[in-house]
Amino acid sequence: MAEIVAHSAAGMARRRGTRDFLVFILAGDLYAVGLTRIREILSPPPITPVPRAKPAVIGVCSVRGLLVTVMDLRRRLHVEEQPLTRRARILLVEAQSGEVVGLMVDEVRHVARLADSEIEMATSLLGGDVSEHVIGIGRPVGDVVVLLNLSTIVSA
Amino acid sequence: MTDPTDKAREEFFSEAQEIIETLSKNLLALDASLREEFSDPGLVNEAFRAVHTLKGLAGLFGAASMGMLSHRLEDVLDALRLGRIELTPSILDVLFQAVEVYGKVLAAEKDPDEDAAPLVEAMLAEFDRIGAGATRDQSPTAEYDLDPGLLAVLTEYEEHRLRTNIENKMRLYRLRVQFDLATIDKALEEMKERAKRHGEIITYLPTGETASVDSIELDLLLASQDDLAMLIGALGADNVVIEEINRRNATVMPGTIKPAPMLRSRATSLPGKDEELQPLRMGDDTGLEASGSLKSLTQTVRVDIHKLDHLMNIVGELAIVRGALASISERLREEGERQLGAELQRLHRSFDRRLSEMQDGILEVRMVPLGQVFDRLARVVRQISRELSKEIRLVITGADTEIDKLIVEELSDPLMHMIRNAIDHGIESIQQRQEVGKPAAGTIALNAFQKGNHVMIEIEDDGRGIDEQALIERAIKSRKIASSDAKELSREEVLNLIFLPGLSTREEAGDLSGRGVGMDIVKTNISKLGGVIDVHSEAGIGTKMTITLPITLAIVSALLIRVGGQVFAVPLSSVSEALAFDASGVHVVDGREVMTLRGATLPLCRLDRLLRVQDPAAAGMRRFVVVASMGTRRLGLIVDHLYGQQDIVIKPLGRSLADVRGFAGATDLGDQHVGLVLDVGALIEEVLTGSELSRERKMYADG
Repeated sequence: MAEIVAHSAAGMARRRGTRDFLVFILAGDLYAVGLTRIREILSPPPITPVPRAKPAVIGVCSVRGLLVTVMDLRRRLHVEEQPLTRRARILLVEAQSGEVVGLMVDEVRHVARLADSEIEMATSLLGGDVSEHVIGIGRPVGDVVVLLNLSTIVSA
Repeated sequence: MTDPTDKAREEFFSEAQEIIETLSKNLLALDASLREEFSDPGLVNEAFRAVHTLKGLAGLFGAASMGMLSHRLEDVLDALRLGRIELTPSILDVLFQAVEVYGKVLAAEKDPDEDAAPLVEAMLAEFDRIGAGATRDQSPTAEYDLDPGLLAVLTEYEEHRLRTNIENKMRLYRLRVQFDLATIDKALEEMKERAKRHGEIITYLPTGETASVDSIELDLLLASQDDLAMLIGALGADNVVIEEINRRNATVMPGTIKPAPMLRSRATSLPGKDEELQPLRMGDDTGLEASGSLKSLTQTVRVDIHKLDHLMNIVGELAIVRGALASISERLREEGERQLGAELQRLHRSFDRRLSEMQDGILEVRMVPLGQVFDRLARVVRQISRELSKEIRLVITGADTEIDKLIVEELSDPLMHMIRNAIDHGIESIQQRQEVGKPAAGTIALNAFQKGNHVMIEIEDDGRGIDEQALIERAIKSRKIASSDAKELSREEVLNLIFLPGLSTREEAGDLSGRGVGMDIVKTNISKLGGVIDVHSEAGIGTKMTITLPITLAIVSALLIRVGGQVFAVPLSSVSEALAFDASGVHVVDGREVMTLRGATLPLCRLDRLLRVQDPAAAGMRRFVVVASMGTRRLGLIVDHLYGQQDIVIKPLGRSLADVRGFAGATDLGDQHVGLVLDVGALIEEVLTGSELSRERKMYADG
């Protein structure tokens, strides 16, 4: 428990016992981020590529007048890329700098409420060789979900 | 932001900021009145009131260090008001310093990473120092029969040294020395060397009384433990008169300052007193009783500029709705619904009109008077002129000219730089000015006015002007131009050499006797705002720099182009022309493609290659050259297509794209698409800098 408390300080503000996650798909696997960090879920608007930007950057788009940088979450996490389908969505999240960044995912599934007991923190996972972007593993009934750390993902 | 306490804090910050600005204006007015030899107690009262209000505010918001600072500053001002401390330039320095510290404290309140505590500590110690003088009723320097004019111009450090020496029971001497103008540099150094063996030279100043045109008289203030006879033996000469400065028992009259003859002669030589910098009196002279109220006196609302940006974005979206309305009404009429179509058409027109009114309204709200930045400059002028011992008269006109808030913020550094240059390099020393028959006080005029959709700012000095010959020599020496080309430069081109990067560094600036210190940076910063600088200079008469800026950054005119299948916007302010590209006219010089445009060589850049956005479909098609210019540098950008001109709203790219060079931002092109805006300055820099050197080196080898 002490461990979990320490981690909540590092990035997961939690309510008593349970927390809501948005579950989505990247290259066929389930991933999730804390729901409170998501501002909006969009169908991808036209995106203008930005020459010379980092490979993970797809480009910029306008969301009701707000200029948003869109990153490919698959490329950011180095998972296999498949062509985007019409199920693809952009998650708008606010970076710590205050900038609103869009993350392209293959598909958005649902919101899952996970109890503390269903979460296994990264530090207690075997091997310890886990990406800095992973907070832990969620195990809602019958599923395995990789819980992502938005703070490291959207900090450039 | 929506949290009420956050909102209240925001209010607190802007209110405090405003009061601090008022305080600063007050101090400037005090400074002016000090020089004018009349002391206006109302000004001290106003300053006191401002600080008192700040103290109250700080208390309300639990801003402890600001409260402490205000509390102690209030004491100092109270002492000044009651005449317990005498108002001197060095006291004013401390007060100005307090304004700076307030700024830091506010920043620290906003950003927990900032720590203003040491500054506040230092400031409080400074107050103690002044206050200590007050409790003894007079400073130790007052016990000496020192020329108050001299005291008035001591720098803080000098004053500190004077105090320390007095406290160490040193005796004070005045050495009045005649120097030959031709050899003063050397002679003064020798004099200082010799005097150093006997004590410390605290300061030296010209007396303003000269026996002949080619000599100058200086007063040296020397602290020494030797007695008079010994000093006369050691330093005495035909041209040196040594007097001991006696202690006196009389108390100093507080509250008034009697300038020394030297100072007065300078003051009276100021011409045209009416146009003197006088804008700084604040409000009316309401009594001190009114001071306790924290109620805001003005009927204004302070707004975060990003909220205005947001409103502007909404206007942009409404414009898209407007477009949709127009097409629906069109369709209705085509489908025979004439009446409905006409009604919608009317609605559309009225919507259109209101929308552009709204856009104008929002733009207007973003406007602030240039006076904001000018006031800050007045403070800088005061500081620099004291550092350099020059008398400067700052004349400001058009401080009420309005310009976009964001531009004002970005203007203050370049303007400060230019003013510093004008004082440092433009205005001659007092002696030099007198020799050529100019008034001792140099004049710097800061004029602002609106001209169509632009705001012009002129910075004019009556100094020595730019030495064009020296400029050319310097440019040749630092290999910016070939000596063979130098003769062919027009005057304008010669003057524009000051904007070349690296033309002169700080060390070199002295012998250049002109400008050039970081002017390339000034130019770049102004260019970033979509502005340009022009220089005019007459040897011996002065220099005038004119900055032309767009009124707002919110909307700029841009040329839309296509390259590599993608649409980009190029701000028109940096486009000089566009023409059809003729591949047969391209030559390769030193591995760089160039073409000849009206007799001049124009370096070319294939934008698709530079940005790596090649479009195979465009191969073999007719292309265009957009001639982009930034200062004196030009670059022909080869593009696939020209779409024409459009007014665009530039939005900065997000922080996650901060490392991407070459784009000034992005803009909505309508139809949901976003276009990137090229940063022409950065592109020119990138393309030309690397190769320019090698090319010029070759020119040298050839010539």
